[in-house]
Amino acid sequence: MDAQAQPITASVVPISRRATRSWAQRLFPYLLVAPTLVFVILFTLLPATRTVVDSTMEPGRRASDPFTFVGLENYGDLFNPSHHIGSRFTRILGNTLIFSLVTLGVSVPLALLFAMLLNRPIRFMGIWRFSLFYPSLLPLIGAASIWAFLYSDSIGLFNTILRSFGLQTINWTGDPNTVLWSIIGMNIWKQTGYYMIFYLAGLQSIPRDIYEAAALDGANFRQQFFALTLPLLRRTTLFVVVISSIFAFQTVEQLQALNQGNPADRGNLLLYFIFQNIGERRNWGYINAMTVILVAILLVFTISNFVFFEKGQEDE
Amino acid sequence: MSKRTFGSRLADAATVSLAFFWLIPLIFSLLMSFRPQAEPITIGNIFVGSRITFENYAAALQVAPWAWHYITSILFVFGVLAVQIVTVTMAGYAFARLRFRGRNLLLFVILLQLMIPSGVLLVQNFATIRALDLFDTRWALMLPYWGSAFGVLLMRQTFRGIPYELEEAARIDGASWLQIMRHVYVPLSIPAYVAFGLVSISSHWNEFLWPFIVTRTEEVRPLTVGLNKLYGTTEVGALYGQLMAGTLLVIAPLVILFILFQRRFIESFATSGIK
Repeated sequence: MDAQAQPITASVVPISRRATRSWAQRLFPYLLVAPTLVFVILFTLLPATRTVVDSTMEPGRRASDPFTFVGLENYGDLFNPSHHIGSRFTRILGNTLIFSLVTLGVSVPLALLFAMLLNRPIRFMGIWRFSLFYPSLLPLIGAASIWAFLYSDSIGLFNTILRSFGLQTINWTGDPNTVLWSIIGMNIWKQTGYYMIFYLAGLQSIPRDIYEAAALDGANFRQQFFALTLPLLRRTTLFVVVISSIFAFQTVEQLQALNQGNPADRGNLLLYFIFQNIGERRNWGYINAMTVILVAILLVFTISNFVFFEKGQEDE
Repeated sequence: MSKRTFGSRLADAATVSLAFFWLIPLIFSLLMSFRPQAEPITIGNIFVGSRITFENYAAALQVAPWAWHYITSILFVFGVLAVQIVTVTMAGYAFARLRFRGRNLLLFVILLQLMIPSGVLLVQNFATIRALDLFDTRWALMLPYWGSAFGVLLMRQTFRGIPYELEEAARIDGASWLQIMRHVYVPLSIPAYVAFGLVSISSHWNEFLWPFIVTRTEEVRPLTVGLNKLYGTTEVGALYGQLMAGTLLVIAPLVILFILFQRRFIESFATSGIK
């Protein structure tokens, strides 16, 4: 943040000029910040701290029983494949990683393609832009209930099309081998439009004359793309990769309508598993430990986001 | 020259076909919602059935108290936004224009919210709502969102771009802080408020897990939770026409809003990249 502080100093009221500030004036900034701070402390800082503390505890059998300190035992159980919760957790964590990597690998290049297609003069622009962007506006659960119909085994659109070509139908969300891919497919459809807008903004910031000069030098489209467009969009790409990773770990509501984590956790994701276990008092220690792991993963992405972002600002 | 024309025609074709693929879910949810329930899509007849009907909408309306869900969703998103506008304006101004002890530390604490989304801290925040005795109320939906790190960052950046001379001039004229905000900072930051508002409204309109956990009574549950109930009751009988009708009722306001303000929406969402 301090990288940006330099040019602003001039416009901030210098403290020295008001050597004799009354206590009311001194209190004023804190009063302004207080409301935001109260909610952030109450719903982010305190619960995050408590999650870490409670992840080392095992809840008692009944609500009135005290928690007992168990150290890192909960974490040990989570990563123990022969433990009843560990076997599920490792599978679900694996699913979540595949989900995030594949979504990213497909939707980020696709988002760049969308942006390049829409960054040209074309008739009826509004229609094309709407078509590619609208999924990111829909509630996940609404999008998922539409896809539940598309994926439906008996009367869904996809299987009806397969049947009309005389092909074998696929049990999209019921087959343990396809369920995760079906969820990923819907997610790519849902998120790509959102990433597209960052590429659109990036493309529009590239001066046109660079391309004109390259074209004069005889560079063809492919050469222009790899020598100009991609390198100039490097920061956008880094940013999109990071936010899509963060997204992938947080977007789980579609499971509620598509498959509820079934079959046999093959289509389950970490945050959804946490959500499913919220009523299971005996699992609270594990839930807190899983939340800590989830938050740790998110922190790695977010901090790298800030680092890239700040570094990019210094570059300019 | 002719080669360029070919390339751009190819790109046009790609745009149109990708757009068509992306529209398929919307098109078919519309078709299904107007198709008689007794006629599931079959080979050779995947578009409209024998007649156009509104019976799916009528049936979907029976399943859940949609009017209450609409009221709750509207109270939820505007209840959040109204408070957020006040809190982010105050904090945004403090971080943009005032120097005070602990400023960077406090900003860092607030930024934690961007790193640790409250939606992930479901268990603990649920316990907090219980402890505050707010379970199953609309307050429970709104409370965690009243402070917004994204909004504070956005307003801080926007206020910094406003010449300090304007504030100084107003101060010399004897304007109070509130008057300076009302006549200088807020009017000059309308585009930022619009961007923040659109992002805030659309993200809370779509919220599901949190409202689902902290409410039980139908009347205080938002549309997304109503949709979940509709899904549960119609999926068993494969009543997809009814489900699509309900889904469209839930997504229509945002989609219409987007069609009306497309450019604004896209620019606003690009701003949300601040995170």
